[in-house]
Order: sequence, then structure tokens, then C-alpha cells
Amino acid sequence: MLVVEHLVKQYGDFMAVDDVSFEAKTGAIFGLLGPNGAGKSTAINCISGLLAPTAGRITVSGHDVIKEGKAARRSLGIVPQELALYEDLPAVENLRYWGKAYGMRGKELEDRVATVLEHIGLVDRARDLPKEFSGGMKRRLNFGCGVVHEPKVLLLDEPTVGVDPQSRIKLFELVEAVRDEGACVLYTTHYMEEAERFCDSLAIIDRGKLIATGTVAELKAQLGARDALQLSGVFPADTTRNAIDALSSDMPDLEILSQADDSLLLTLSSASHHLPKIFAAISGAGGSVSETSLRSPNLETLFLLLTGSELRK
Amino acid sequence: MDFLFASVRKDLSRWTQDRVALLTWLGIPLLIGTLITSLVDNGGTPTGVLLVADEDGTFFSGAVVGAFSQEQLGDLIIVEQVSGEEGELRINDGEASGFLTIPEGFQDAFLNETPVTLTLKTNPAQTILPGIIEDITEILLDAGFYAQRLIGPEIKSIMDASEDGTPSDAFIAGISVTISNKIETITNKLTPLALEVEIVEPPPSEPVPDYALLFLPGIALMAVLFAANSLAADYWVEREKGTLRRLVSAPNALMSFVTGKAVAALCVMVAVTVLVLLAGFSYHGVGWSKFLPSLLWVALGGVGLFAWFAAIQMLLPNQKGANLITTILIFPLMMVGGSFFPLAALPEWIGSVGRLTPNGFIVDRLSVELTATNAWSIDIGSWMTSIAITVSGLAVGALRLRTGFARR
Repeated sequence: MLVVEHLVKQYGDFMAVDDVSFEAKTGAIFGLLGPNGAGKSTAINCISGLLAPTAGRITVSGHDVIKEGKAARRSLGIVPQELALYEDLPAVENLRYWGKAYGMRGKELEDRVATVLEHIGLVDRARDLPKEFSGGMKRRLNFGCGVVHEPKVLLLDEPTVGVDPQSRIKLFELVEAVRDEGACVLYTTHYMEEAERFCDSLAIIDRGKLIATGTVAELKAQLGARDALQLSGVFPADTTRNAIDALSSDMPDLEILSQADDSLLLTLSSASHHLPKIFAAISGAGGSVSETSLRSPNLETLFLLLTGSELRK
Repeated sequence: MDFLFASVRKDLSRWTQDRVALLTWLGIPLLIGTLITSLVDNGGTPTGVLLVADEDGTFFSGAVVGAFSQEQLGDLIIVEQVSGEEGELRINDGEASGFLTIPEGFQDAFLNETPVTLTLKTNPAQTILPGIIEDITEILLDAGFYAQRLIGPEIKSIMDASEDGTPSDAFIAGISVTISNKIETITNKLTPLALEVEIVEPPPSEPVPDYALLFLPGIALMAVLFAANSLAADYWVEREKGTLRRLVSAPNALMSFVTGKAVAALCVMVAVTVLVLLAGFSYHGVGWSKFLPSLLWVALGGVGLFAWFAAIQMLLPNQKGANLITTILIFPLMMVGGSFFPLAALPEWIGSVGRLTPNGFIVDRLSVELTATNAWSIDIGSWMTSIAITVSGLAVGALRLRTGFARR
């Protein structure tokens, strides 16, 4: 189990992670979602011991990562976003090396290496050098190096960035297999559909702050049945806002998430039914709509809703 | 320990795949060493061939030929008796330093005080040896002239008596007494003031050092510097690969990783140093009892250089800059540290500065080891200093790894 309590990481005046707390349970995949620069990697670096937190507490399998760093790290496995392999060492040697780095040896190590090679589908290529592998094979080996020591907590830092669809599916299967073996998986991504597909629970982070947490179902419930309506065109600042606000009597859950001179983001339920009234209001306010995008409720919409709220502050 | 051995094996396996680098570390120093040594050291005492055509074939002409082979002159000049025709051909082909023709009638002319001409042709392609042969020939002729002035009649009597048969004992005794008296008379006039000459020879414990040998430590350090700089860049390579980041997340792995790199570097340094020293020891005839201490000293120094180059590289903001800085650094280090010129041959102040550089320090002590009478001549303080430099370099590198270098 991984518990993060009031984690803060500050660089001078810049708050990279601001009072973030969450709990990832054993035998489950916990998704940490957020756009690039949201603070996900900083949080991962603090958990893995690469960075010292400014404040807060992190425990891995009950061990404090600061006070009991070695014990905590012994339970951790990391699959970094970018490949972390010795491309000039055979695949099997890579696995052995990282197994030994976590104290494995002898038959235990050899058995585990054989199992991992089978899981990642590289038994036939075990003696080959990774520099001769395809991108997908390297990704699988990269994953294997992170799990060879059977970690209780596995950190996956955007593992599918730049990965082809076939390899991505294979990676999902590998992650789910690790989860099914009883590990706690922390999965960071900015692909909402990935998180929605197989994360048991989620935390959404933006600008260093945790803005939502819960299961996918719980988070969707926060959104209700509201759609996200993205409009492009001309939107005079004051008159547009007044015109939209005037519609609230007919559309009580209508909300402006963000507004600029050339874009407007709204949320409301059954948005498709209200489009004519909204267009008329904008036109009456001296604006015009050139492009419309309507999204049904999902995590992407929720993220827009939540980060939009932040933007409005 | 398992991870330490795994780290050593991993690095050795990766590093030895780069055979071009290995050849560069060895090839450049050995090439420069060969050039410098061949410029400084001409390979021992030169010898020349003197061709002699003895057309007279008498006792006196044989004495002239034999004079060129006497004592130390015999080490310098190899005399070959040839016919006049063969001698002409060979000297014209440049196969000898000189060609001396002793004409028929040489002995008669000598005894009868009539003019005679010895012909000496020298090899214009050589300078020193033909000059020596020419000088010796002139000295021999001068000696012959004075001998003829002094005891010419007695020599003539001996030769005449020999032609008539075996001279009587009384004749030999008379001639001997006459010659002895003449020599005794002239000796009293020629003997200079009695001077006591004390010949001071260098004590056996201080052999005169071979100048070319003084280049060997610098050449060895050049190979080690190239290797150290190249291997130190591996920390940046591992950082860019992302393996360092994975490593610092593992428990108890960092010290084994750093130590493993140092041990792997030591193995490479030993291999490089063995090859350079084998060549140097064989060429200069250095005692093999000095091989092990020399090898250990240079290899340990090489690991120290590796550790500090790595530490410096890790303090720099990017891989390109890191490589550039240490590469730029090694050339002045080699210049003042005795790799291009022996420290003893540098101006005093540059030599003093050079001995303070890490490589100069190693070169200086290695020179002591190579030129001393006994093996293991490097003092314990120097060994401890070298170990301290190595350990501190590794510690700085490990600290830098812990404090953020591993993140990219």
C-alpha cells in the first residue's frame, strides 16, 4: 500500500506539488492524472526517493520513505517514462542486473528472470541485445526490469507515451497482471481514456494541487450528466458573460468554465437541446460562433470542468 | 557483494565492446612513445664496418689491420678483410663505413723510409664512424713514423735476420737490449710530472639513468589519462540512458554501483598499463622486480584520475560540456605532467608545477621506481596520498549522484 499525506515540494517560490494526499491500495491500480507539468513526475520522484519532499509524509508498505528509505525502496518498483536499459547488454542480463540491485540472487533470481521473460514475451530474444529490438520490445523489457524483483508497489510514470497501439495493449495486460499478483500500482498518465479503462481509483492533479480523487464512478458522479460545450468564434468579454448568465433560468446547471475573446467553454446537461438558445444569446451579445465541439460526460469532461474551475479563480 | 560483481561485469562487458576506444588509449601513447624514444635513443653503441684490402700481406700491414680490432676499438669497428675489387663495390654501395687499401710494398717502404700511400675511402652517408676510422688511421701512421724514427734500424735488422733464417739467441738478446735502452732513454724525457690521478667512479648504487627511459612514465600516464577521461564519461551515458535514475531508487545499490565502476576502471587501467609497461620494460631492460609496483602505482593513479574526471563531469550541466571540459583539461595536464617531456627536462618552475598535478605526481614517483636500484622505491606517503585522492574522487562522485545527478 502507498500512502501520500500532505505532500509538498517547493522550488523557491514555485510550488511543484501543493498539499497532495492520496492512498493507493494493494491489488489495485491507482491513476494519477494531470496535464504535462501538473506535478505528477515530481510526486513520483518524491515517492521513489529521487527528490526529498519539502513537507508531508509518504509510506510504502508501511515504511516512511524518508525515515526508512531502504526498507521503503525495497518494496518499490519503477517503470520510468523513458527507457532505462543497458542496450549493449543482453535482455536477460538487464533483468539479472536489476534483480541483483534489489538484493535477489541464486535460484530465486533465475526463476524470477525466467518468469518475467515469459510475461514480457522475450524468451526467444533473451540473449539478444536490446539495441537490436523494436520500440515495443524495448518497452516490454523496460517494464520487466521494473518488476523483476516483485515489488509490492509499482510506479509507472506515463509508460505509454510514444508507444504504438499494439505495444500499449500489451503493456496494459502486463500492468493488470502485476495488479492481479497483488501489487499496488500507481499509474501516472495524461491520457484520460487509459485511466478510465483500467484504473480502480484516481486522483486528478493540476498545477501541483489535487483537484479530485475517487473511483471512476465517483468522479463521474461529481460531473453529473453535464456535457462540455467548446465554442470557437468571437466572444466580447462582458456582454457574452451577461448573456450566458441570463440563460441560467432555463438552464440551471449552465456554467462557464473558461472564456477568451475567441473561445468559450461551457458545461450543461443535455447541451445539444439548448444549442439554438445559446447561439442566439451569443449573437445578441455581439458575438459569433464559427465552430462547435460537444463532448459527453467522461473523465476528459470532468478534467475540463475541474481545471476550468481552477482557471476561473 | 553480488550487485558489486554484477556492476563490475556489466561495465567491463559494455566497455570492452568499444574496441576503437581501447586501441586509441593504447595506440596514441605507444606511437608517440616510439617516436620520442627513437628520437632520443639511438639504440646503443653504434658499430661500423671497415673493409681492408691488404695487398701487402706482411707483418706490418697485418699489424695495421689488427690495430683496428684492439680493445674498445674492436667494439666500435668490425674489420673485414676483402679484395680491392670487392671493397670498391661494397663501399660504393654504402655497405661499410670505410675502405682501407694497404698497397703492396708497404712494409718495405716503412722500413726503408720511402713514401707510401694508404688509401682510405669513407662512406659519405655516415658522419661519425668514418671520422673515427680516419682519425685512427692517422694516429696509427703517426705511431709508425715515430717507431721508425726510434727503432727503425733494429726493426730492419730483425726483418733481415728473419729472411736469412732463424736468428740466433745472441742476436735476439742484443737487439732486445738495444731497444730496451732506447725506450728507457726516451721514457725519461717523455714522462711528464708525476701526478696522482684519482679515478672517481659513480657508486654502483646510483646507475646513470637512461634518458629515453624517463619518457616511459609519461607515456604510461598518457594512456591512463585517455582511458580515465573516456571511462568517466560513462556516468553521463548512464544518466542519459535513465539507468542512474532507476539505480538510485534501488536500496543499497549506489555504493556498490560506484565501487563497481571503480573496480571495472581498475581492470581496464591494469590492462592498459600492463601493455605499455611490458613494451617499455622490454625495450629499456628495466628489472622485472619493478614491474608489479609500477603496475599497481599507475593503475591506482588511473582509477584516481577516473574518479576525479567523473566527479568533474558530473558537476557540469550537460554531457557535451562535460566531455569537452575534461578533454581540454588533459592536454595541459599531459604537457606539464611529464607526458610529452620528462619532468626533469622541463624548466624548473614548470617541473615543480607539473609534480603537483595528479598525473605529474604519478609520473614523478614512477620515474623514481624505474630508475632506483631496488624495487618498491615509492614511499608509503605517496601510496597513501594516491589512495586518498582516489577515495575522495569516488566519494564526491557518489555524493553528486545522490544529490540530483541521477535525475534527468
